[in-house]
Amino acid sequence: MSSEAIIKLENVWRTYQLGKTQVYALRGLSLEISPGAFVTIMGPSGSGKSTLLNMIGCLDFPTRGKVYLKGKNISEMSESQLAQFRGKILGFVFQEFNLLPNLSALENVILPMVFQKVPLAERKEKAQSILEKVGLKERIFHQPSELSGGERQRVALARAFANDPEVVIADEPTGNLDSVTGKMIMETLTDFHKKQGRTMVVVTHDPKIANYAEEIISIKDGQIVENHSTAQEYLWKT
Amino acid sequence: MEDLKEYFNIAIKNIKTRTLRSFLTILGIVIGVFLIISLLSLSEGLKSTINQQLQAMGGEMIMVMPGADMFSSMIFGGAKLQKEDIEAIQKAKGVDIVIGYSYTGTIARYEGESKQVAIAGLGPWKEALDIFSVFQGWSLRKGRWPSKGNQILIGQQVADKIFSEKITAGSKITIKGKKFEATGILNSLGSQQDDSMVYMNMDVYQDLTGEKRGTASYAMAKIEKGADENVVAEAIEESLKETRKRRLGTDEADFSVITSEKMGELAGNILGIIQIVIIGFASIAILVGGIGITNSMFTSVRERTREIGIMKAIGATNSAILSIFLIEAGIIGILGGIGGLLLGSVLAKVINYYAQTDPSFYFTATVSPWMIVFALVFSLFIGCLAGFLPARHAAKLKPVDALRRHE
Repeated sequence: MSSEAIIKLENVWRTYQLGKTQVYALRGLSLEISPGAFVTIMGPSGSGKSTLLNMIGCLDFPTRGKVYLKGKNISEMSESQLAQFRGKILGFVFQEFNLLPNLSALENVILPMVFQKVPLAERKEKAQSILEKVGLKERIFHQPSELSGGERQRVALARAFANDPEVVIADEPTGNLDSVTGKMIMETLTDFHKKQGRTMVVVTHDPKIANYAEEIISIKDGQIVENHSTAQEYLWKT
Repeated sequence: MEDLKEYFNIAIKNIKTRTLRSFLTILGIVIGVFLIISLLSLSEGLKSTINQQLQAMGGEMIMVMPGADMFSSMIFGGAKLQKEDIEAIQKAKGVDIVIGYSYTGTIARYEGESKQVAIAGLGPWKEALDIFSVFQGWSLRKGRWPSKGNQILIGQQVADKIFSEKITAGSKITIKGKKFEATGILNSLGSQQDDSMVYMNMDVYQDLTGEKRGTASYAMAKIEKGADENVVAEAIEESLKETRKRRLGTDEADFSVITSEKMGELAGNILGIIQIVIIGFASIAILVGGIGITNSMFTSVRERTREIGIMKAIGATNSAILSIFLIEAGIIGILGGIGGLLLGSVLAKVINYYAQTDPSFYFTATVSPWMIVFALVFSLFIGCLAGFLPARHAAKLKPVDALRRHE
């Protein structure tokens, strides 16, 4: 399986220096995620799940150990290779939506394609079609401040899908939304996963969200405490 | 190139979202560029005015001033050309006529009012009037040319501005206790200084002021038709040196012989220095404006750290972030340049408008194409330079740290 894994962590440590104290966010964590999997990472706050997600997303790097994305060690990649990975291979969805406030919904979705140098006409057409798919056809020229939380997160989803990423990473994607809107977001993510066969890695502490996953990884104090191949198994235990 | 267009779009939106701060930052550059453009346009105007005046002398007039250094004698005065000197100039080969010119400040009384005026003596009077009419553009606004001893010529400023009652042709004026008739009023000569003078016959002037007969503050020699001004200038110099040697036993040249060509050169040099000084001062103003840009951009990077993190997370390279912020700083710079250019051009237009309607207004201002190019390129350059450090700082932010930042 290891040769096929799209994401692989080998004995990953991540420490921070906070004043004089050394904080251990991850302690020798190892993990493999196969292509096309839908994985949920669960754990209490401070357990290191966001740090883990940042590593998978090439936003942060291990203090010790190795993180492989599509077989490549992220610590050995150049800045421009990393940018390419973040933009092309990965799609990000954040808890706080993280849209650029000065740009319209359409421009926000276009932006990742700009960074990947997709031709002008193509990126505009594609952005429009994705926004249409997430049900925002009428709102494409609105600024984020003119959109509701759910609409913003849908724009963020559209942005994450813009470059047809192989892996979509979501950090508490429903954390700031009510349950109905949250459900809609999760359904969109699941839909993308099922129809396009993309890999999903979702961080959450909401068991209901975990329900959508095929695999649940539970971490605590920077280590994997349980790894369940089915969501039901995990939910049964909780 | 297509992504550059998008970066422009982002940069412009960023500038727009902080309208007031952007405006103030731009204003800093506007002031600097305005300063450069208005001062340079004035000095360019001054240059062309001086050239015009020099052309009026037309290479036919040579000035002789006492003192080896023409500027100290112009500023401090004091030294005089002696009678023998003037005779020596007259004797030099190629000299047609020599006009002596002396001036001093004194009190004049008109309609019961006493004011400080400058009086000038010219002689020989008739020849002086002929030469000044041709080469300095003297013309009468009212009255006639004075011919008798107690008749004087009044400059336009003296006639209109100095006394509360305007002086008209035929008015009586008392200077140093002697009564004069203002026979003629001159049209403006295009120079504040020349217009503020009262002109009279040299003999009358010297009787009035007690200056020794035959001497002069400086002399103007008109050269003979067809003579070369440089050759004549050399002849004058030789002749003066000879006289000095005979009279004082020294051939030290404590006088200056200035041709229009030399005058042009000198004026050019002085203006060159003035322009360098102006550019120096205005550069300081622009530098301050540039620091304003750096400051504003650093604040902007700080405020948008999270946005930078987002852009990196969705695939922006360091160079993309650098470009966006550099473009933003460049736009601020060039907008400042355009603003300064517009203000400077408006000032130049106003000055030229006054110069045309009021002949006593001496200045003209010229905005030349090189100034426009210079202002725009320079302000763009300053903008990019000032924005470079903040932009690089933004580009080098680690995405995970940038994303963690909450305002």
